[in-house]
Amino acid sequence: MVRFVATRLLQSLIALLMLSVVVFILARATGDPLSMVLPMSATEEDYANARAYLGLDRPYLEQYFSFVGRAVVGDFGTSIRARKPVSELIGERLPNSLKLATFAMTVSVLMAFPLGIMAAVKKGTAVDRMAQIVSILGQSLPTFWLAIVLVEFVAGRWQWLPAGGNTGFLSYVLPGFTLGWFVVAGMMRLLRSGMLEVLDSEYVKLARVKGVVEGRVIWLHALKNAMIPVVTFAGIYFSILVTTAIVVETVFAWPGLGRLAYEGISGRDFPVIQAVVMVTAAIVAVVNLGVDCLYAAIDPRIRYAR
Amino acid sequence: MTSSSRFVGLALLSLALALLGSVDLASAQAKTELNVGLSGLASETLDPPVAGHFVKYYLSMMYDYLVGSTADGQLSPTGGLATKWENSADHKRWTFHLRKGVTFHNGDPVTADDVKFSLERAAGKRSTTGYAGILRTLVDKIETPAPDRIVIVTKDPTLIIPAYLSRTLSSEGMIVPKKYIETVGDDAFARKPIGSGPYKFVEQVTGSHIKLAAVDNHWRTGTPKYKTMTFRVVPEETTRIALLRRGEVDIAEVSRERVKELQREGFPVQLRREESIFSMWWVLDPSGWPAPMKDKRVREAMNVAIDRGEVVQGIFGGLAEPAPIPMGLSWAFKDIGFKPGPEMNYTYDPARAKKLLADAGLANGFPLDVYAFQLTGFPEGKAAAEAVAGYWEKIGIKTKLIPVDYPAFRKNWVDRKTPGAIGYFNIANRNWIGAYALLEKMAYSPSKPNDTANDPEIDGMIAQVMKQTDQQKVNTLMRNIYTRLRSEHLGMPIAYLHSAYATSKTLGKWNPGTVMYDFYLDDLAASK
Repeated sequence: MVRFVATRLLQSLIALLMLSVVVFILARATGDPLSMVLPMSATEEDYANARAYLGLDRPYLEQYFSFVGRAVVGDFGTSIRARKPVSELIGERLPNSLKLATFAMTVSVLMAFPLGIMAAVKKGTAVDRMAQIVSILGQSLPTFWLAIVLVEFVAGRWQWLPAGGNTGFLSYVLPGFTLGWFVVAGMMRLLRSGMLEVLDSEYVKLARVKGVVEGRVIWLHALKNAMIPVVTFAGIYFSILVTTAIVVETVFAWPGLGRLAYEGISGRDFPVIQAVVMVTAAIVAVVNLGVDCLYAAIDPRIRYAR
Repeated sequence: MTSSSRFVGLALLSLALALLGSVDLASAQAKTELNVGLSGLASETLDPPVAGHFVKYYLSMMYDYLVGSTADGQLSPTGGLATKWENSADHKRWTFHLRKGVTFHNGDPVTADDVKFSLERAAGKRSTTGYAGILRTLVDKIETPAPDRIVIVTKDPTLIIPAYLSRTLSSEGMIVPKKYIETVGDDAFARKPIGSGPYKFVEQVTGSHIKLAAVDNHWRTGTPKYKTMTFRVVPEETTRIALLRRGEVDIAEVSRERVKELQREGFPVQLRREESIFSMWWVLDPSGWPAPMKDKRVREAMNVAIDRGEVVQGIFGGLAEPAPIPMGLSWAFKDIGFKPGPEMNYTYDPARAKKLLADAGLANGFPLDVYAFQLTGFPEGKAAAEAVAGYWEKIGIKTKLIPVDYPAFRKNWVDRKTPGAIGYFNIANRNWIGAYALLEKMAYSPSKPNDTANDPEIDGMIAQVMKQTDQQKVNTLMRNIYTRLRSEHLGMPIAYLHSAYATSKTLGKWNPGTVMYDFYLDDLAASK
């Protein structure tokens, strides 16, 4: 297991290095960032001064190695737009995204698990049909539409919940629900199909014949074996929720990593773009590794080769 | 009752209690907090030389200017650190007398050394305000003959110094603490800034908000009635309006199309009339005017082909006015005594436009690229560009809309890669000095590549303004510049745009003023 983890970490580092080259080149291919920072009436002298001050007049190779050299110690340079260390910006925004994603995932699990399990156990009944409606709605309703509708009605007109910003526990509800809604649908469907397959297996029938309580049969014996695809799905989507919830973060004015990425891209803020991409990739790598390790915990048959 | 049902019941009860609590808290907070919801705060920086005019909304409450202004953009000895200023007979030495007893938020007194340091820093190479260039060109040295007096010595005679360092323009005139910055450095200052304004910095979460706290008994406002002032970044308009309805913001930037709806609900809506001008221009050739725009008849034809009244009503919902002067910043007109007559308004006349094109040998039209992009505060950008292109199509010009983002257009514009193509901006309105600074960039050939006019006569007049020491002559020159821009059709002015700001029903009277990028919240916050 240790060797497995070490190998995966090494592979992730190599991937991050290759990614750093790609994002460095692509970011600069988008154009001059200073036109987003300087006023429209700025002169070429202003541009030259700003370029020199921000180090953008150095050769590309020098800029790249400077970026990589500092990135390994967590220094991602200074934001062209905000004139603050990028690591500070990420430090401000990443926890907000982590908290929101955790809330959204918790909501998803709390909704998807009971629904998915009940839909499988009571296949063909009204519960199953309701679960399928939830699934269809979850996968077909555009996130931006749901977000706007919730803000307009739940927050603005009915005033039940806060509309935007990170202002306390209640401010998590609307963006968390919006983010988690799609995940509920996918998680529930995977769980339902996994449970249907498992509930039909021989060992479950044997457990029932032996008189095991139905609750234990479902929650202990069957669920564990249906969990693997759900864990994979949850892991993939957790990293997506943390890093790319741009629409939700914009609509709900949530100061998270997704919005930082959008601001960096629209402002051609190279250091921010580079840093966010690298951090995103690192999060995905870590989460995937965590999911793989979780497989071994869920299913003892899974062991990673020495 | 099962344990899970009991749990659900308790959870719902807790949620209900929390909801009630949050509503009560919001309404209680509204009395001592002022919350402003804007779609963005540009770079959100806190250090004046790297912030520029886009972020004056909050910076002008944190810092004092050397030269203050009234809400309608007139220089004022009561609104800035300088209680009076005078110039020498040769107009090369400007003496500013500083207000006594002003301190920074850390208790250090504001002295002439701080003013000198601030101005030199504003003109330094780190500055990205876009206006430092003129300061570098003009200013020879800054003397501090006394702790409450500074003298700015210019290389050439000029009148522009007080206006240039005033609240009406950008952030060059904001005064920062020399000792503190020299101790902690620029980067630390940018994170924990200290000014001498009526509000001091409390916290910033980029992408979320900037929070300021009132300073007791400030010379500008007394002890402000709002204990805190928070500028919130809320990109989505639906959310800003929801926050307004919930009482979580007191001032919200809204689009022109939501104004009537909010007024019906009883929310007062303040219009900053003519806050910007939607003005279009041609990309020039490396050597000047490209064909066929070099022909004045073509430029006139393209102007009279546009039904500005229809654009105002159809695109901007009536919250705009047709504009007659290319790059004509109307807030400057009163400063220079310029009153565009009715003959300067472009009358929509497609028949005349076709005749002008035919006279220029272009009866069959010509191809024209029109860049289309969104801009901050101008969500109608692309639709407006499309509409104007449609008018040109009607007179035979074969337009091609090129959707891009502004930086991509800007690169083509300054590199002059696509001569004859059309671009535009919603240029923020401003007073005469700001208008001059803009013309010096965009209508002045030596300012290549930003120049859009390439007119030797205008070049000569602009060069004279900077060195002119008679305000009446400056005013005459500025009027003549605008008259020539119009008579030679050196651009396509479309409309002055009114910007809308909805306020809470309890905010009270608020005059947002006519100072560029500044809501003039002093009067709203003042206790005196």
